[in-house]
Amino acid sequence: MSSQWNRREFLKQSSKATLAAMAAGAPLSSLLTSCNNRRDSRADTVILLWMAGGMAHTDTFDPKRYTPFSKGMHAKDVLSTFKPVPTILDGISFSEGLESIGKVMDRGTVIRSYVAGDMGHILHSRHQYHWHTCYKPPQSVSAPHIGSWIAKELGNVNPVIPAFIDIGQRFTLGEGEELKAFHTAGFLGSEYGPFLIPDPSVGLESVRPPVGMSSKRFENRNKLYNDLINKGAMGEFGSDYQKESLKRSMEQAYRLLKSPEASAFDLSQEPKESYDIYNTGKFGLGCLMARRLTEQGARFISVTTEYEPFKSWDTHDNGHTRLVDMKKQIDGPIAQLVKDLEKTGRLDRTLIILASEFSRDMMVEGRPDLKVQEQVEQPDIIHDIKNYGMHRHFTDGCSILMFGGGIKKGYVYGKTSEERPCKTIEKPIRIESIHQTIYHALGIAEDTSYLVEKRPFYTTPDGLGRAEMDLFA
Amino acid sequence: MRFNSKNNFSLNHKLIVLLIIFLSIILLHLIYNEFAPAGSLLSMAPENFWFLRFVGRLHPLVVHFPVALLLFTALFELITIKHYHSPLRPGIQLLLLGGIITSLIAAIFGILLSGNAEYGDNLLLHELFGISTAILGVILWFLHQRILEKNEVRYIKIYRCGLFIAAIGILLAGHYGATLTHGEDYLSNTLPWTENYEPVEKMELDIKSNLSEGGILSKAEEKELNIKVRAIFAHNCYKCHGEEKVKGELRLDGKDFVFKGGENGKVIVPGNPDKSELYRRITLASNHEDVMPSKGKKLSEYDVSVIEFWIKKGAPWPEGSKNEEVFKVAALAPRNPELPPASGIYSNPVDRWTNQYFTRNKITWPEPVEDRIFLRRIFLDIIGLLPTKQEIDEFGNDKRPDKRSLWIKKLLDREDDYAIHWLTFWNDALRNDYTGTGYITNGRFAITDWLYQSIKTNKSYDQFVRELVNPNEKSKGFIEGIKWRGVVNSSQRTEMQAAQNVSQVFLGLNLKCASCHNSFISDWKLEDAYAFANIFADTTLEINRCDKPTGKYTDARMLWKELGSIDNGAKVSIKRKQLAENLVKPQNGRIYRTIVNRIWAQVMGRGFIEPLDMMDNDPWSQDMLDWMAFNFQKNNSNIKDLIYLITTSKTYQLPSVGFKDPNQIISQEYKFTGRLRRRMSAEEFADAGSALFGSIFPDSMVRYRPESQVGNNQQPGSFPRASLVVNNSFLTALGRPNRETVSTSRESQANLLQALELTNGERFNAMLKSGAENWKLKYKSGDLIIKEIYKQALGREVRSEEYKIAHKILGDNLKNDTIQDLFWAIMLLPEFQIIY
Repeated sequence: MSSQWNRREFLKQSSKATLAAMAAGAPLSSLLTSCNNRRDSRADTVILLWMAGGMAHTDTFDPKRYTPFSKGMHAKDVLSTFKPVPTILDGISFSEGLESIGKVMDRGTVIRSYVAGDMGHILHSRHQYHWHTCYKPPQSVSAPHIGSWIAKELGNVNPVIPAFIDIGQRFTLGEGEELKAFHTAGFLGSEYGPFLIPDPSVGLESVRPPVGMSSKRFENRNKLYNDLINKGAMGEFGSDYQKESLKRSMEQAYRLLKSPEASAFDLSQEPKESYDIYNTGKFGLGCLMARRLTEQGARFISVTTEYEPFKSWDTHDNGHTRLVDMKKQIDGPIAQLVKDLEKTGRLDRTLIILASEFSRDMMVEGRPDLKVQEQVEQPDIIHDIKNYGMHRHFTDGCSILMFGGGIKKGYVYGKTSEERPCKTIEKPIRIESIHQTIYHALGIAEDTSYLVEKRPFYTTPDGLGRAEMDLFA
Repeated sequence: MRFNSKNNFSLNHKLIVLLIIFLSIILLHLIYNEFAPAGSLLSMAPENFWFLRFVGRLHPLVVHFPVALLLFTALFELITIKHYHSPLRPGIQLLLLGGIITSLIAAIFGILLSGNAEYGDNLLLHELFGISTAILGVILWFLHQRILEKNEVRYIKIYRCGLFIAAIGILLAGHYGATLTHGEDYLSNTLPWTENYEPVEKMELDIKSNLSEGGILSKAEEKELNIKVRAIFAHNCYKCHGEEKVKGELRLDGKDFVFKGGENGKVIVPGNPDKSELYRRITLASNHEDVMPSKGKKLSEYDVSVIEFWIKKGAPWPEGSKNEEVFKVAALAPRNPELPPASGIYSNPVDRWTNQYFTRNKITWPEPVEDRIFLRRIFLDIIGLLPTKQEIDEFGNDKRPDKRSLWIKKLLDREDDYAIHWLTFWNDALRNDYTGTGYITNGRFAITDWLYQSIKTNKSYDQFVRELVNPNEKSKGFIEGIKWRGVVNSSQRTEMQAAQNVSQVFLGLNLKCASCHNSFISDWKLEDAYAFANIFADTTLEINRCDKPTGKYTDARMLWKELGSIDNGAKVSIKRKQLAENLVKPQNGRIYRTIVNRIWAQVMGRGFIEPLDMMDNDPWSQDMLDWMAFNFQKNNSNIKDLIYLITTSKTYQLPSVGFKDPNQIISQEYKFTGRLRRRMSAEEFADAGSALFGSIFPDSMVRYRPESQVGNNQQPGSFPRASLVVNNSFLTALGRPNRETVSTSRESQANLLQALELTNGERFNAMLKSGAENWKLKYKSGDLIIKEIYKQALGREVRSEEYKIAHKILGDNLKNDTIQDLFWAIMLLPEFQIIY
């Protein structure tokens, strides 16, 4: 690609205004000067499967020596609390309970060397902010979510399906405010923000006429609106961008709500046998909705197990027991999602990523060479099963799965050590590379940036991240 | 006519002399450029003598003569190729002579010019062809004379070949000369099949700018280009070539350093990227030993091309002396320009200034807006509410000539409504909210009560700033910032947040860059930011550059020393007190300009200066802004008085202006012609709905309850105002920010996510539903409902066309559903949502 930059280009750019915050109510995105080149892409759609709360690698996709529970056992001896079970890949095992995913690993890659950021005393929402925006909070300008970057750069696949859909997270729980801080398009402007579906089982409500309004009435209401605009007193004021954008957006919303594609949000239309496979709870149904949306043309979908302090993957106690449940929730739906998309040929152009903000370990909080203040009491001798599990926050060896979108099939990337600390010993990969790998798959140039308050703001800090080409087939 | 031989001889004689002079000039030229020892007489370049410079610049004028003359000589020679001694011969001789003489002059002038500037490879080729052609011309003249005088026919072929070569030579010289002034792709970019083809529209821009600037970047453009390059250096090179580390003895963090080069000599050859070591290094293959940046992170193609372009353009770095500022910094001192005289109805000071501005810009005053538009404006601008039915009637029936001013006064006196409305503005700016990161962990403190009381009592702005900067327990939230658990980037420590936010909100100044490294968008240095942040620190902060400790410290200091000093060793409370007093000094024109600009933007839609946080930009009227800021300060920094002054002006009552392209609004060419149209804020829209149809928010969502709204004090018909409720999906969709960062204006453009919330959002539709029920009970007939909703929502009578449409949908059998749908349609009309 040639990016010959000349005087003309320069003049073109200088004439555009560049700023950060809004000016005079103008839409943010129109005021940004961009430096973005489009490239060849390997994927059109991204599905992020978010394991909120910190998923222990040694009890999921990177199992180590198994030590069954027994009263009086030494905590320091416990590396994994589940048996390793062979996957379809030679010599590669996953933790017990993830057999279905293990069977589809010939379609994807497991990364075993993700190293999370170092931000001192650990707070989930800060690490989640970092994972989703690639920037460490706080920031002096509002950083966009990766889904917003993608929505801004690529737009919708299908004009009636919002480009960035976030399934499964409520913001009324603990740390809800901290979650809101990164579920935002930031300086890109609210147009690129997430379309929130906190509960997929009632997802349809978000995209259908108001409760109790018949389809006929909905049509009539819209007609009334248009008639009144056309015959109203608006003519005397002429046109302006506020008015035009208002009319356009209302029409877009009407089209979405009337469109057959909106039925993608309606899970009751799914055949029973297929629905049952996905119906392991909110997360499973979120996967089903993600699949249905992908079929109708979605750009970026995030499905989360939902973050709530001390719930789901955030195991400060009973780690082993609770993971049995968590695995039941995710194993079937994720494997099915991969298989379904493959069956319809969509997996090639859809990148699925499973990730978590960091991992867990029974002993180490933070990184072995950069330990931070511990948050969980862990007795040296375990008497109670509630102390049996990975309860401390571990940042130096986390697992990520990737399927489709040109990613290698049946590949293992990176390695953690077999003994504690089970930290990354080969090919460490950080968030900048993960983001750039996703952008690369989508054909978004790595130096994509906008001038914010005259400062360049890149997709990854200072534009320094690089895609990991080794992950691509 | 024939030259006689005697004349010819003397001519030849002169020519030989001329040739010798000419060759010696070439020799001198070479000596100048290549072998001249510094300081010697020979190294005195021609640019040191004005006459030579002047003559040099005539080169582009003179060059056209030899081109035309030599080409015509060649052409006539072609025409007469069969008959050498044709009747045209004397003419050819004359043309040849003219061509040779002018080519010699052009060559000499050109050599003088080339001493004046750096051009690069194309200059060498241009000189080569130009000078050779001139020499060849002299030789041709001798040949031609010999053929004529001695009739040596054998020379004819040689002469003719030579002439055609000279013609080609002068074409090539001309071509390379043109690329120097017009650029290499000047011709080729008109050709659709070439790589650098430019479609017509782009060409126009280029041609236009070429005409106006002679193909040379303007000072402003040079500056901007330079800033881009410095930004690339800062982000990619400073780590190893800056203050901290000086690898290869090269620093890139200053003009002198960049042009001085490193251990291997100069790294930039202005005008010539290919000869510039820096350019060579950044374009090497990533596995090359010499590639830069060395740590495996290649510069993007874009960045490389920016640097290439910069070097090509002569590596401009507009920075005269050390004291000269690269970046425009607005004057700090207040100014009180003389108020223009009153003229007719334009006696309000704002109008006097506008009148002067309009006269100068040849703008005529349009008629002021009619009552209904005016009434809606002042209600929404001052108290954030729609006028009620009674108020609309009352205003309509008010026959007092000064009723507009009287009503403005009345609204400003509605203390609580006023405070509730302006609370939104200040909450955004001071990032104060009821929920948000940090509040539950005591990492952040709300200032709502203090803020509300301050607005309600119309606290003077200087006192307002004092109490925020040197806070009490109730106002400390702004300075304390947001403290996250764990380790944060040193540019986001709370002291630095305070420095950034104080400078952004009160001074319209961006200190964010400088809090990490020396800014390259302004002259603020890292040390300045730390000096300012130290005012908020218990101890002296260690300076961190890009989050790396430097081991250096600086004193606590104001950003402008003119504003006074800070006692470095004092306790933080003393330092903050000093800061507060320094900030609000009358000498600090900037703080008063900033607030006047913000208030003006709130009621007029656009500031004198945009963006509001970049107060170093130029205002559309410096005098008007300065006068208003000066007199605002003199008037005890009274914000309500300022709003009164603006809103009672004829200027405020000008018809609103709408833009199709929002970029025009912030364009530097913006001309003020009237208030800018704005869309209702989330809060205004919600309150309008609540007032018409009943509360959109339940009382349980209220997070701050002013005394007047508690218990029995609550007025009948009042509802929870949106600015007092906890943020929620409805307000978020309509643009209420999450207040994690300072936010001083809001988007006015609608989008899909917002439209979805308005189309099927539960809260909004529930409000309309209960509104329909209430209205049906109250007004009973469809006829009345239609008339009333147009009056109350839009402040006007329903038109017959509209009435017909509405009546058709309501039908004779009045139903809640259809009433609800009518209300929905009305609230979504642009006419309802936009304040005209």
